[in-house]
Amino acid sequence: MSETNNWEPKIIAFLCNWCSYAGADLAGVSRFQYPPNIRIVKVPCSGRVSENMIMSALKSGADGILVSGCHPGDCHYISGNYFAKRRFALLSNLLDFIGIEPGRVSFSWVSASEGEQFAEVVHSVTERVKALGPASRLVKQLDAVQAA
Amino acid sequence: MPTINKRISEEIRAQARKLLEEGEVAAVLGYGAGSLPMTVKPLVVRRPEDCSKLIWSAFCVLNLANYLPAALKSVEPPRGPRDPKHEGPLPKVAILATGCWSRNIVVQIQEHQVARGRVVVMGVGSRGMVSRRKVEALFPGLEILAVEEGDHELVVRGADFAETINRWSVVRDNCQSCTHPDPVLVDLRIGEPVSERKNPNPFKQVEEIEQQSGDERWAWFTREFSTCIRCYACRNACPLCYCPTCFVDDAKPQWVGKSLDAVDTGLFHVLRAYHCAGRCTDCGTCETVCPMGINMRLLTKKLNKDVLNLYNIEAGMEPDSPLPLTTYTMDDPEKFIITELTPVPRAVKEGK
Amino acid sequence: MSNGSVLVVGGGIAGVQAALDLANSGFLVHLVERTTAIGGKMSQLDKTFPTNDCSACILSPKLVECGRHFNINLLTLADLIALEGEPGSFKAVVRQRPRYIDPEKCIACGLCAEKCPKKVSNDFNMGIGERKAAYLSYPQAVPLKYALDPEHCIWINKPGRCGLCAKVCQAGAINFDETAREYILEVGSVVLAPGFSRFDPSPLDFTGYGRLPNVVTSMEFERLLSPSGPCMGHLERPSDGQEPKRIAWLQCIGSRDINRVGHPYCSSICCMFALKQAVIAKEHAHGEFESSIFYMDMRTHGKGFENYYNRAKEDGVRFHRARVHSVIPADDSGSLQLRYVDELGKVNFAEFDMVVLSTGLQVYRHTVKLAEMLGLELDADNFIKTDSFNPVATSRPGIYVCGAASEPKDIPQSVMEASAAAAEAGRIMAPARWTETSKKVYPAEMNIHAQAPRIGVFVCHCGINISSVVDVEAVAAHAKNLDGVVFSQCNLFTCSQDTINQMVSIIKEQGLNRVVVASCSPRTHEPLFQETLRDAGLNKFLFEMANIRDQNSWVHQLEPEKATAKAKDLVAMAVARVRSEGALPYNTVPVTKSALVIGGGVTGMTAALSMAEQNYPVILVEQSECLGGNGRKVYRNWKGDTFLPFINELTARVTTHPQISVKYNTEISEVTGSVGKFITTFSDGHSFEHGVAVIAVGGQAYQPEEEWQFLHGIDHRVQTLLELDQRFMEEDAGLKEVKQAVFIHCVGSRIPERPYCSRVCCTHAIDSAVKLKELNPEMDIYMLYRDIRTYGQRERLYQEARAKGIIFVCYDLDHLPHVSERDGRLLVHAHDPIIDANISIHPDLLVLATAIQPREQTGSLSKFFKCAVDSQGFLLEAHMKLRPVDFATEGVFLAGLCHYPKPMEEAIAQAKAAAARAAIILAYDAVPAESVTAVVTPAKCTGCGLCVEVCAYHAVSLDENGISVVTTSMCKGCGACVAGCRSDAVSLKNIGNEQIMAAVDAAFM
Repeated sequence: MSETNNWEPKIIAFLCNWCSYAGADLAGVSRFQYPPNIRIVKVPCSGRVSENMIMSALKSGADGILVSGCHPGDCHYISGNYFAKRRFALLSNLLDFIGIEPGRVSFSWVSASEGEQFAEVVHSVTERVKALGPASRLVKQLDAVQAA
Repeated sequence: MPTINKRISEEIRAQARKLLEEGEVAAVLGYGAGSLPMTVKPLVVRRPEDCSKLIWSAFCVLNLANYLPAALKSVEPPRGPRDPKHEGPLPKVAILATGCWSRNIVVQIQEHQVARGRVVVMGVGSRGMVSRRKVEALFPGLEILAVEEGDHELVVRGADFAETINRWSVVRDNCQSCTHPDPVLVDLRIGEPVSERKNPNPFKQVEEIEQQSGDERWAWFTREFSTCIRCYACRNACPLCYCPTCFVDDAKPQWVGKSLDAVDTGLFHVLRAYHCAGRCTDCGTCETVCPMGINMRLLTKKLNKDVLNLYNIEAGMEPDSPLPLTTYTMDDPEKFIITELTPVPRAVKEGK
Repeated sequence: MSNGSVLVVGGGIAGVQAALDLANSGFLVHLVERTTAIGGKMSQLDKTFPTNDCSACILSPKLVECGRHFNINLLTLADLIALEGEPGSFKAVVRQRPRYIDPEKCIACGLCAEKCPKKVSNDFNMGIGERKAAYLSYPQAVPLKYALDPEHCIWINKPGRCGLCAKVCQAGAINFDETAREYILEVGSVVLAPGFSRFDPSPLDFTGYGRLPNVVTSMEFERLLSPSGPCMGHLERPSDGQEPKRIAWLQCIGSRDINRVGHPYCSSICCMFALKQAVIAKEHAHGEFESSIFYMDMRTHGKGFENYYNRAKEDGVRFHRARVHSVIPADDSGSLQLRYVDELGKVNFAEFDMVVLSTGLQVYRHTVKLAEMLGLELDADNFIKTDSFNPVATSRPGIYVCGAASEPKDIPQSVMEASAAAAEAGRIMAPARWTETSKKVYPAEMNIHAQAPRIGVFVCHCGINISSVVDVEAVAAHAKNLDGVVFSQCNLFTCSQDTINQMVSIIKEQGLNRVVVASCSPRTHEPLFQETLRDAGLNKFLFEMANIRDQNSWVHQLEPEKATAKAKDLVAMAVARVRSEGALPYNTVPVTKSALVIGGGVTGMTAALSMAEQNYPVILVEQSECLGGNGRKVYRNWKGDTFLPFINELTARVTTHPQISVKYNTEISEVTGSVGKFITTFSDGHSFEHGVAVIAVGGQAYQPEEEWQFLHGIDHRVQTLLELDQRFMEEDAGLKEVKQAVFIHCVGSRIPERPYCSRVCCTHAIDSAVKLKELNPEMDIYMLYRDIRTYGQRERLYQEARAKGIIFVCYDLDHLPHVSERDGRLLVHAHDPIIDANISIHPDLLVLATAIQPREQTGSLSKFFKCAVDSQGFLLEAHMKLRPVDFATEGVFLAGLCHYPKPMEEAIAQAKAAAARAAIILAYDAVPAESVTAVVTPAKCTGCGLCVEVCAYHAVSLDENGISVVTTSMCKGCGACVAGCRSDAVSLKNIGNEQIMAAVDAAFM
């Protein structure tokens, strides 16, 4: 990972089991190609994703983070994504406020039938993160490396 | 004619004495005089004869709601972990509350930390509390020995000087931008109600930062929190921070390192502020108690602004309504969702 | 002795629901599907009204459950060809056509389809676009197995000619020599769910369909909208791929049309279907978009439909009450010109980019043949005939029908009937419950509690699906060095039976206590591997999958190195995750085998009787002193069957049934407990322990007031429909003397205070008018209506009424009828839009078709059972489409008017459905509960109650010390409480922050 000219970002994606993870599977079944920078972490529901998880992933060295759940109204657990929506809206604004680049942390709704949309989301997120370059703000490891 | 705060102090003493004498409450949570100029200290009064120690001044900057759960606990009969629950009503505590503190009490009620029936809220309209730091900044290098409080001015005295300054000019930022100075929950009114303040832009400080570029904001953030020594005074003074184990002390996973490393410090403040989202009343105590003068209030104020703009909720205004993060509407805004998607080229599998 | 197996014919949503309900309540189900996969029409839908849910998202889990069910024998490409015997012991002959691809071997890699040279029109996409002769009908198909199309496969038609698929198939699944097979199945009863076909508009020349490419049917349009359809969800019109900016929907194509089509009935669903498409199309459109619906009556008579209609109006969808005369090309660009006559009789022209024909529903020709073979009676429209008071019973005992084969209907109604049919089929087979089913037995599980992790990693080649892109050997080697990993290997097909057997022995030999499989998606394969762990004596939760196919090799085909690096990360993440996972209990909740039914109307009685006949004790609670409820106030239904004899007979059966005890004059005062064991206390102080509850508290008539009063209660000649019914029942001779009668529809319905249609009143009013005509054929009758909503075959009644000279005058909210009294005579003023003039009538009888409302106590009752009510106060089901009688709260069910206004036959079907769903729980000594549940660390809990508020299942509460506790049996494992908790006091077992963050950190090691 030392050559910055060959730098490839790593993006952590928290996907809900019922819609977005299924949408990612459908992208595969349909062979929609997307950049290989994404590392998918399956969670039961977008409502399972906390601000701590997002900030901690950033701290651990994620160049980008994507959280994706069912479209509002489609939540397998009735209301999980509605609560998530409020939490993410506030977190997203707060991160912007302290100068975390817009595009580091992204949110989307992708349903089980939206394979192509999933691929588009990954394309879009990856492009934005690549344009931003390696994450340095609130990243623990990089600071440690620089200090060493 | 005595000053407003003098009259309020008198009324507090009289009412507190009455409550204690009549056995209505087991304790009164208020303020006593501090040992230094411009300081006061939280005081729990349990005997009528001690009520004379209660005071009210422009320097009541600590949020009394922070002490309320402990005060309530202190008046309960002792109970071991295996003992049965106490039968019958538990003793009450009276507490002085301004606009923001009363809203904190409402949040405490919403969050089951305080039983409404056990609290007698002695509501005091706030005229804005004075920032000791602002006063001191006016007299650099000089030692202030006493400050006399008038209704609209302060007389600041040192060993060889005495100067009159405008009171409002040294009122804390949060009080200056406050729109709800009068308590929202009152059982016993002290003094005159204070009208709602029409503040054309209560979020001016936040907007000043919002208008900067992303890099400038990041520079501001790192600069602002660079001096943090992780003393947790902000957390300890906050009535919202009552977790038995704070997230900073979690081990599996360790969300935030315990070092003074800028990342750990920054994460601590971001997550702490976030945990106050929709609950913070902008009482300003965190900032007031910070030994390093960090303006961490700006983070919570930013969240307050968003909660108000997005969900039309201000913390602690209505005891019966849910907190913003425990409720939702079908059409909550979702501007943060990605909308610009990059079209995918269809895979060309042949000729690979 | 009855046979404990059942035959379900048809694998659409109705058949699937019936199969699941029956299999889950202790019967062996043979599910016979005509095509290669189950899913039916619903799998072709993009979205479903009125919630705009993604159809595939909500359907797929049911299909997967059905496909994997231990007691469902799924026979695809199969037809029922003969049936003999009696209820309880039928002998069915099922013929299965060859698939030519062995489903045991096929791993659905898709290579056969990729290499197949023969292109065929894609029938799943309604003929838009192409598929191959080797094909999977749709991506989420169950079974997820390819098939060869015998009509088009080159080899099958000319053996020796092609055979490419057989050459590329690594699994060796292709078998060109397969032949048809016949099965003789012994079953106790038969459920038919053969579904419906859509009317083919080709013969209707005026539509231009078939000639003009931009005229499509609604089902074709649905595929055009679908993200998995031929345009990937980018709305394009067929002629030139341009995005249409103006779309018209033509309603009633092949419905309500006697002259051209011979379909007098209304297809019931098309109005909502078109509304939904208009709304969704607008969402798809970029920029300006115009949608117009040409209709006769907008029939939005279901729950949530009227609101949807109102929203569509607000969103700018235009509505024209007109039948279109012709569709012709507007110019050379592909645009279309519509000619139509508007309400005032004026000829209009309008131009559109696309026209969608809302084609009606009809019975399949092969369904008619099937019915004839079975000896079932059909009705005049060829639908399978059912009984008014037993809406899922066919004319032949032991054979039941559900879904649109008995009348056009929507999904929730079909699902309800499916459950009702399951109840009926289960009733006659009740003594044979659990006799034909089998249960898998697993070895005892090893206790791994004190062991250090010994993780085994199995990396799959998946033929060449993974290994052609990912260096799987390198991934396996990488895995070997990960902390806790003691074994790793590669397999050609990890899911093949021999590898599965091998995995069992490796787990035992190596002493593995956790397993990671790096292969395809856990959504399809996790259950299989988890079962393998159980076969090897490991708890099934000590398992993780790394998805290196669907989410890696298939999507990074051109970047093998990066895909390999990613696969290594994904495996490391799965290993990190599994390392701290523990064995979880297979939770169950013991069941008290008795039921409580609240409400003694027809619905409640039917539900009680249905459960009692399956031998479960039932307490039926009625707040008044008699049974029968609203049904006793209604004279008859649209088929002319009177209610009173039926209700009296039903009441007698209920009151004499040994398993039912009725409590009159009783209300509920307290409910504690949850599914399996509720304890309900009644107003008389007694309490009752029951495993399930059915709420059937009915509804009540709206009392006309304000502008809707029309002198009701002031002038005795003004009566509601129910008051008129009373006179019919009393055979009031005065009715014969009436010379002129006026009916006002929608009294209190479809207005801002009550923005829903009461569903039954159009039919009820018209039937009453027809009855008056029977009494006095000379009577003048005027119906003042807004839209006539005689949905389904009730449309025939409407036609009869018109034929009998009953006059229909439309009114709208801006021109309400006005009623006054002058010189002792009633005077009704109304505006007739067709002649654009005011009319005055002097009726001797004015009948108000009043709304149906929920009872006031519905809300408080729902709170006892932690159930929700909607904005109108009706009970809110768990899911409007697929769980129409369930509540989100498990073990509690609903039926009848407390759910939404409905006619008695639908209430009866719903009551039986509720009983069937409840009987699934009662069939078990203990019901399975979620294993991945939330768990609280009390020392960290602040008692703030945030977790309580965000739990959609009421599974979290505060105990007497104010500390959060999780009722495990009610927890669904969503983790909303975990994310909400600021102090990390709540965790989700095996999906805790520890596991998730370990996986995240492993990506950066």
